[in-house]
Amino acid sequence: MSQIPVTVLTGYLGAGKTTLLNRILSEPHGKKYAVIVNEYGEEGIDGALVVNSDEEIFEMNNGCICCTVRGDLIRVISGLLKRSTNFDGILVETTGLADPAPVAQTFFADEEIAAKAKIDSIVTVVDAKHLPLRLKDSREAQEQIAFADVILLNKADLVSADELAGVERAIRGINRFAKIVRTTKCDVPLEQVMGLGSFDLAEILKREPDFLKGEEHHDHDHVHDEHCGHDHHHDHHDHNHISDSDISSLSLTTDKALDGVKFETWMGDLRANKGQDLLRYKGIMDIAGSEKRLVIQGVHMMMDATELAPWKAGEKRVSRLVFIGRQLDEQGLRDGFALCAA
Amino acid sequence: MNSALFHQWVFDAPVLSLCVNRRGDFVAASFADGSVRLFIANDEKDNPHTLALHDGISLSLRPDADDHAFLSGGDDGKVFILNPLTHETTLIAEHKNQWVDHVAGAVDGKHRAYNVGKKIYVLDEEGKAKFDAPLAVPSNAGDIAFSPNGKRLAVSHYNGVSLFWLNAKDATPSVLAWKGSHLDMLWSADGKILMTSMQENALHGWQISDSKEMRMQGYAAKIKSMAWTGRGKFLATAGADQIICWPFSGGGPWGKPPVTLGGQDGRLVTQVAPHPKDDMIAAGYDDGMIVLAPLDGRMEIMIHPPASGDKNTITGLVWNAGGDCLFAATETGNVLLFTIDSVRKALVHAK
Repeated sequence: MSQIPVTVLTGYLGAGKTTLLNRILSEPHGKKYAVIVNEYGEEGIDGALVVNSDEEIFEMNNGCICCTVRGDLIRVISGLLKRSTNFDGILVETTGLADPAPVAQTFFADEEIAAKAKIDSIVTVVDAKHLPLRLKDSREAQEQIAFADVILLNKADLVSADELAGVERAIRGINRFAKIVRTTKCDVPLEQVMGLGSFDLAEILKREPDFLKGEEHHDHDHVHDEHCGHDHHHDHHDHNHISDSDISSLSLTTDKALDGVKFETWMGDLRANKGQDLLRYKGIMDIAGSEKRLVIQGVHMMMDATELAPWKAGEKRVSRLVFIGRQLDEQGLRDGFALCAA
Repeated sequence: MNSALFHQWVFDAPVLSLCVNRRGDFVAASFADGSVRLFIANDEKDNPHTLALHDGISLSLRPDADDHAFLSGGDDGKVFILNPLTHETTLIAEHKNQWVDHVAGAVDGKHRAYNVGKKIYVLDEEGKAKFDAPLAVPSNAGDIAFSPNGKRLAVSHYNGVSLFWLNAKDATPSVLAWKGSHLDMLWSADGKILMTSMQENALHGWQISDSKEMRMQGYAAKIKSMAWTGRGKFLATAGADQIICWPFSGGGPWGKPPVTLGGQDGRLVTQVAPHPKDDMIAAGYDDGMIVLAPLDGRMEIMIHPPASGDKNTITGLVWNAGGDCLFAATETGNVLLFTIDSVRKALVHAK
């Protein structure tokens, strides 16, 4: 059975989430979506089923903070999955102050939901003008950036080219791996937002085999202003930290095959001890003795590991692992990863 | 032995749930296309009667307070009473753009209840609101269940269960607290024990008199089906590769291991249905297999083989009152009927 793709829409109040939602709902895309919203004013809309839902954060396993899920999403998505109507996708709108982690964790923690639905991508709408301030005073705004697969840098027309470049640098400081799309009034082709498979590393690798090879190709997509004149500066340091946030991203690479047991133990310890600080991580591993690529994907303590298609004959086998998290201990992670070599 | 099937109906949409009325002479099945079908619970093959009931689907199908009818609540915000004798449906409540998650009818016939998220509506015999304002719980209700004597209403939710007295002026509940999200509920027939299934693969329970707690863990999946065996001796549960039966006679389950029946590696019990008279439990598995397992530990009898190819989860399993007809439902849209006679014939044939 194919899993229904779920797009999670986050973003601070006033960033333009509702504008995007209205566009998704009103555009003649011929798709049938179920939309889970917080207090959406309108009743039914053609081609979409709108379900209101109050955010409910549930701790599982007797109060483990890393195992928080969204109880209301379990209820609503379980209900939607019972219908024989085939939805092309489910869109989950979160409130401006929402922490994206429980939303993402819901799709790992509830087995039935995990079997029938999967996160397609986390899309974060940010306001180009106000983001720098938000990043200073709001933990949620930082986490919404950290969790994003796609960031709509909205209201791009309201700031200068320099400011825009500065905002992008701030975003990259937190999350080097998300795709940034500059928009005005969230005017972006829907195929850049929905149906991306960007939460699924296996999908990304099919589409973009070089995804994990560094950030260079993760250039911003320009939707509106082709001549914005911003400089195409990229930070080529492996680890970029900006002062406004203690969230950063880090990529680890090795061409030595890994010892499966050592790697599993290391990741297990890391999740147990640092799970709270690890916001997202994904990677593709070359395990000694296995012809197949091991693909991992995680949010806090919850991790999925699956074996993917075998390495091609003659292909250079490289293991790559990326982390987005708070107070990442760069040296510790590098050393730990190096010790996993077979 | 292949199958002891007496008859099989094949429909287009997955069966969401099966339910038997209090009299035990009709079975209702809700489907993923929104329809509900009513079967006479005997060996007649010219069943069923089809009702196009909800605009979406039935989220909760339960026996009504009236002992021959059913109650259904749906994601169209509607609550219906279904009369299986006349095929009449009566709309008793409607909440636009909201979901009715759970419905319940009191055994004493006096009240019906349903919930919309955190609000619980109780209706009296005339269908009038019992309370001035709906009862409130702190988070979306996981389930609602009247106590067997009809005097209390239990509502499960995040971090516990709220118990409301139906005849109290004050709608303040007493709360049985336990961390975590509580889902399905089941009262013991004497009203002394209340069990909940949890979001984690576990059961929780309370002895009402002193709030003494019980916690049952070690399940492989969420417990989607639980039921008492005759005279409440055991609580039979799904959610593991075996039928897990917790002993409740002789001082309760504390400190005792469960009796396990019908073990099958790599399979998951999804439905349990204790026989109404005999010490035997029918169990359905996630691959379509159905067994009858005697409680005395004798070898179980497979009455329906696992589906070949795709998994065909058993989504409903109920006996009629006489215990001579067993109805089963599958994820692929089949309703199966076994009779004690068809089982006996298949056994003789197998020998």
